[in-house]
Amino acid sequence: MKNADTAVSFRREIKSWLQKNCPISQRQPIVQKEQIWGGRNKHFYNDDARQWFEAARDRGFTAPEWPARYGGGGLSADQAAVLREEMQDLGCRPPLYDQGLWMLGPALLVFGTEAQKQQHLPAICRGEIRWAQGYSEPFAGSDLANLQTKAEDDGDFFKVTGSKIWTTRADAADWIFCLVRTDDSGPKQQGISFLLIDLASAGVSIAPIPLLSGDSDFCQTFFDDVRVPKDNLVGELHGGWAVAKEVLRHERQLMASFESMAEKPKLNIIDLFNEHMGNENAYGISSTDIRSRLASHLMRDSAVKQLGNRIAQQHEVQSVDSRLPLLMKYLSTREVQHKNEIILDILGTRGLSLASPDNPELYDSMVKQWAFDKALTIAGGTSEIQLNIIAKRALELPSASTPE
Amino acid sequence: MILTSEQKLFRDSLESFLSSKLPIAALRSLRDASLSTAYDRGVWQQLAALGVSSITVPTALGGAEFGWLAMGAVAQEMGRRLSPTPLLSSVVLAQGALINCANLDQINHYLPALLNGDEVWAVAFEERAHFSPDSVSTAMTPRGLSGGKCMVLDGASADRVLVSALNADGQSRLCLVKTDALGVKQSPSRLMDGRQYAAYEFSDVPESECDWLAGGASGAGWIQVLNQGMVVLAAEMLGGARELCERTFEYLKEREQFDVKIGSFQALQHRAAHMYSELELSQAAVDAALVGFDSGQGDQCAMASAAKALANECFQLISDEAVQMHGGMGVTDELDIGLFLKRSRVCNQLLGNTHWHRLRYADRAGF
Repeated sequence: MKNADTAVSFRREIKSWLQKNCPISQRQPIVQKEQIWGGRNKHFYNDDARQWFEAARDRGFTAPEWPARYGGGGLSADQAAVLREEMQDLGCRPPLYDQGLWMLGPALLVFGTEAQKQQHLPAICRGEIRWAQGYSEPFAGSDLANLQTKAEDDGDFFKVTGSKIWTTRADAADWIFCLVRTDDSGPKQQGISFLLIDLASAGVSIAPIPLLSGDSDFCQTFFDDVRVPKDNLVGELHGGWAVAKEVLRHERQLMASFESMAEKPKLNIIDLFNEHMGNENAYGISSTDIRSRLASHLMRDSAVKQLGNRIAQQHEVQSVDSRLPLLMKYLSTREVQHKNEIILDILGTRGLSLASPDNPELYDSMVKQWAFDKALTIAGGTSEIQLNIIAKRALELPSASTPE
Repeated sequence: MILTSEQKLFRDSLESFLSSKLPIAALRSLRDASLSTAYDRGVWQQLAALGVSSITVPTALGGAEFGWLAMGAVAQEMGRRLSPTPLLSSVVLAQGALINCANLDQINHYLPALLNGDEVWAVAFEERAHFSPDSVSTAMTPRGLSGGKCMVLDGASADRVLVSALNADGQSRLCLVKTDALGVKQSPSRLMDGRQYAAYEFSDVPESECDWLAGGASGAGWIQVLNQGMVVLAAEMLGGARELCERTFEYLKEREQFDVKIGSFQALQHRAAHMYSELELSQAAVDAALVGFDSGQGDQCAMASAAKALANECFQLISDEAVQMHGGMGVTDELDIGLFLKRSRVCNQLLGNTHWHRLRYADRAGF
C-alpha cells in the first residue's frame, strides 16, 4: 500500500466491516457440518451462516484477490493479507468452501478465455456453482499423465468417455474440471486437454467410494459418450498439462493449509494428554515416551507454521526463496499424521471405535480424523512425488526417470 | 533468516574474514596444537575489533545492539567453517551472564576488556555428564570455595571463570574467579571434534579471590543466558548442517557409478530432499527463537528448547547422511565431512540433549 496512513485506514475499515457483517456464531471454530459450500443445492446450517455468506459475497470477499468485474474483491496482495489477518484475528470462518474457488478459478484467471472467465468466475464467487476436480483415474494416480479418459472430436462438441476417481464430493457438485486425452500419438503429457463439464449432462453417473473413516467424501465419476461443447476447452487443445500444473500448485498450497480450514478438535491434544496419561500406566514408561513424542510433535508443528510465516514475510519483502514453498506439503501433512498417531496412543483402548454407541462421540471423531488424514500424504501429489519435486527443483539433482 | 541490510553487511564482512582467517584448516591445525590452546587469541582479538563480542550488547554499555538475528548469522557462518572461537563460551555465556546477573559497577569494571577481546572468560556450571544446570554442589565453606566442574568449554584458555556455586548463605550464585587464583586447578582435554575443554577443581579458593554476581545461578537472568547459549549453538549447528547439505548435494551431482550420476538414484534423491526439508524446518525454529530474543515476546524457554531439540536431530541426521552418501571417503580424515559428524555429536550433549529439551518443552506447554 502506498503509504502508512492508507494502510491504517484500510485495516480499520476492514475490521469494522467484519465486526458489523460477520455474526458472532460465524466467529466460532469451524464445525464440519456448518461449513458453507456453494452450488445449485446449497443450503445453510442456519440464518447466521446465510447472512455471513451473503455479506461476503456482495463485498467480493469470497475471492478477495480476484478482479471485481468477475465478482471478486479486487484487492491487492497486501490488502488481501490485511483481510486475512483481520479475519484470523476475529476468528471469522471462511464464508465459502469450493474447489472452484481454490483451484479452478486461479487457473482460469491465467488460462481462460474472456468468455470463460465471465461465465464461470462470478458463478464461483457467488456460490452458485459448486465444482469438483477430475484428475486421477483408476490407472493414473501419481502417474497422472497416464490418464485414459478420452475426448473425441464430434463437430462443435467433444464426446467424453471414461472415468475419474477420487472426485471429492462430486455427488454434491454441479460441474467438474477434467483432464482428458485428446491425442495418444505422442508423449503422454502432450495429448492432454483441460475440459469443463456440466455434471447434469446426459451420460454422467457418480458413485461414492466408502473410505477407511466410514465416510465417503470421494466418488468415482463415469462418463459415457458425454457431449461437451468445444467452448469448454481451457487453454490449448492438447495443452492441458500446463493448466493442470497451475491447478496442482494451488492444490498443494491448499493441502498445506488444510488444518486451518478443517474442523478443530473439541479437546486439544495437551488437554487430552493431561486427562488420560496421569497414573494409568503400570510402568510410567509409556507416559514419558508419549510425553516426549508429543513435545517433539508440538515443536515441529510450530516450526512448520514458522516456516509458513517466513515464506509469507519473504513475499512481503519480495525476496522469496522459491525452494521453500515446495517443502510445505511434505512437512505439514506428516505432522498431522504424527499427531493423530499420538492421539491413538493417548486414547489407548478408548480410541478403537469409529462409531460405537459405547464410546463418547468426542473420541470417535478423533479416530475418524486419524483414518481420514491418512489421505493427506496421498492426495494432491503423494509425499513421494513431493520428494521428487524437491530433489529436482530445489536441489537440482540430476534427472532420472522420476516423474513429478 | 530475514536480516536488515546493516545486518547483512555485517554478516558478509564477517564471512570474508572467517574464510581467510578461520577456514576448516584452522581447526585441523588446532587439533595438533598443545592442550592449552582452544583458539587463536590473535584472531579472536581481530574478531572482537570487528564487533563480534558486542553484537547483542546494549549501546548504553558500549555495545552495538545489533540484535540476536545478527548473532545467529555470525554463529551460522562459524558453524559452516567449524571455526574455533570463544563466541559461545566467552561472549554468549560468560559475558551474557555478566550483563544479565551482575550489578552495574561490576559490569562497568569487567565488560570493556571482554568487548575489546583483551580478556576471555569461561563458565563452569556442569557437575554432571548430562546437562543439569540446577545441580550445584560447589560451595563457599569457611575455608574457601570448594568443588568440581566437569565440562568447562574452552576452559584452559580463559582468564577468568564464572562458577555456579552456593554462597556462604547457601544460595545458588555465580562467582567470578581468576583462573590462576590460589586453589584453582584445571585439567585440559581435547574433545573428539578438536575443541578444548577443562575439568576444574576448586580447593579452598580464598573468599578474597571470589567476586560474587548479584543474580542467582537459578534466577531468570541466568536461565535466559542459557536459553541464548542454546539458540546460538543451534544456529552454529545448522550452519554446519547447511554446509554439509551443500557439499553432499554437489557430490551427488558429480560422483558416477553404474555409468550415471549417483544423484539420479531415487533412493538417494528422496533422502536428500528429506535432509533439506529438515534443515529448513529447523532453521525456522532457530530463527523464531532469535526473533523472540529480540522482541522479548513468546515463551523464551519453550522457543529455545524447540530450537535446540530440532537442531540436535537435524545436524545428527544430516551428518550421518553426509558420511553415508560420501561412501568410503566419508569415513576418512582427508575429507572434512567427518569433522562435522564429530562436531554434531559434541553439540548434541552441550546445553541439553534432545530428550532434555522435549521434557522442558512439555513442562512449559503444561503437560
